[in-house]
Amino acid sequence: MIERELTFRIMRYNPDEPEKKPHLQEFHLTEEPGMSLFVVLNKLREEQDPTLRFDFVCRASICGSCGMLVNGRPTLACKTLTKDLPDVTTLLPLPVFKLLGDLSVDTGVWFRDMSFRTESWVHTDETFDPDAPEKRMDNAVALEIYEAERCIECGCCIGGCATANIKPDFIGAAGVNRVARFMVDPRDKRTEREYFEVVGNEDGVFGCIGLMACDDNCPVGVPLRDQLAYVRRKMASAGWRYQKV
Amino acid sequence: MKLQKALSYSPRADFIVEVIQMVSGLLLVLFLWTHMLFVASILIGSNAFNGLSLFMEKNYLLPAAIVFLVLVGGAHIGAVIRRIPSRWAEQKIVWKHAKLIHHADTWSWLFQSVTGAAILALAIIHIAVVTYGGIDVIYSSGRIKHGFLVFYAVLLLLAEYHASVGLYRIFVKWGWVKRHKLHWVLGVISVLTVGIGATVLWIFFTMGVHA
Repeated sequence: MIERELTFRIMRYNPDEPEKKPHLQEFHLTEEPGMSLFVVLNKLREEQDPTLRFDFVCRASICGSCGMLVNGRPTLACKTLTKDLPDVTTLLPLPVFKLLGDLSVDTGVWFRDMSFRTESWVHTDETFDPDAPEKRMDNAVALEIYEAERCIECGCCIGGCATANIKPDFIGAAGVNRVARFMVDPRDKRTEREYFEVVGNEDGVFGCIGLMACDDNCPVGVPLRDQLAYVRRKMASAGWRYQKV
Repeated sequence: MKLQKALSYSPRADFIVEVIQMVSGLLLVLFLWTHMLFVASILIGSNAFNGLSLFMEKNYLLPAAIVFLVLVGGAHIGAVIRRIPSRWAEQKIVWKHAKLIHHADTWSWLFQSVTGAAILALAIIHIAVVTYGGIDVIYSSGRIKHGFLVFYAVLLLLAEYHASVGLYRIFVKWGWVKRHKLHWVLGVISVLTVGIGATVLWIFFTMGVHA
C-alpha cells in the first residue's frame, strides 16, 4: 500500500482572542492503516500544534463528544476512518452550539436547556417505594424506549438542521426523540394535552420542515425520521381534540 | 412566561397553520394535475379542447377556479411565508449551511422557496393573460407561438418541481411512506406531468405556426 499524504484544513478560532478571525489552518500527515480522525487529531496536537482544541472521551461512538463537520457533514470524528476520506479534508466545529475554540463546542448547555424545556423526566404522582419489587415492563415497550435512549447527544442532528441553525429555540430531532421516549414510557402519566403544550408548536415538532438531514446524519442510526413522524402524528391528534378549558 | 406571551397565548395556532399549509398545498397540487389533464384534451383534438373550454365558461368554472386560486393560494402563501427566513442574516446562514453540508433535501427546500416565489409571479401573469385573452385553440396556440412558449415551459417546470417536492415533504414529515419509494413514485409522476405539458405546448406551438 502506498502511504497517502493527507491534508487537513482545520478551523482555528479562540474566543479569548476575538481580534483573530476564524480561519482554516492546514496540517499534513502520513496516513496509517486503520487510522481514524481520533488518531489524526491527537497526532496533530502531539506532534505539530499543542494549542489545537477538540473533544474526545470514549473514541468508540458512545460519549458523543467528538461531533464535528467532516467535509461539511456532521458526524463523529472517532468513527470516521481516513481511508473513507479524500486527500484533503476540512474540519469545522458543529454549528448551533457555543463555540469553545477550534473544533470544541459546548453541547451540554444546549442539551440541558432542551431537557428542561421538554421536561425530560418521568411525570408520575406515584410515590416511590424503595423496598417494593420493581414493576415489570413489557419487553416490546422497553425495546422501543431503548431505541430512543440510544441517542448519545452528540448534536449532529442539530448542527445539520437548517431550522436549528436559524431558530435558537427549536428543540430539533434530539429534542423530539427525547419526547418520544417519554410518550412511549407507561410510567409517565402526562396526558396528550400536556405533551402538546410542550412540543405541539413551532419550537417543537411543528417547527420541523422535514429536510431529514438529522435522519441522514445520525452517527448511531437512531430512526429520527420515524420518531419525528410518531410525535408529529400524536401531537396532530392532540391538537385536533384540544379544547379550551 | 412573559406578559406579552400570556396575553397572546394560543397553543393551537402553530398546529393550525401547519394544517393550513399542508391542506392548501395538497389542494393546489390537485388543481395542477386537473389543470394538466384539462389542457391535455388538445391531445384528443381541437374540438375536445374548445368544447371543454366552452363548458367551463358556461358553468362559471373559470371564475370559480380564480376564486379558488386566490383563496387557497393565498392561504398557502400566508402559511409558508413563516418558513422562509425573512432576515438577511438568516438568508445568509441557510445558503451557507446548504453549501456546507452537501445534503440534497436541504437544497431542495431552498429551491422550494425560490420556485414558490417565482410561481407566484408567473401564475399571476398567466391567469391575467388567460382571463383577458380567453381560452380557445386559436387564441392559445397564437399566444404560445408569439412569445409565450418559453414562459409556459418555465412555469410548467417550476410548478411541477414545487408540487413534487412539496408532496415529498408532506409524506416524509408524517412518515407514511419509505423515502426511496417516494422518490421513485414522485419522479414518475413529475416526468409524466412535464411530458404531458411539454407535448401540449408543442402541439399548440406547431398549430400557431400553421395558423
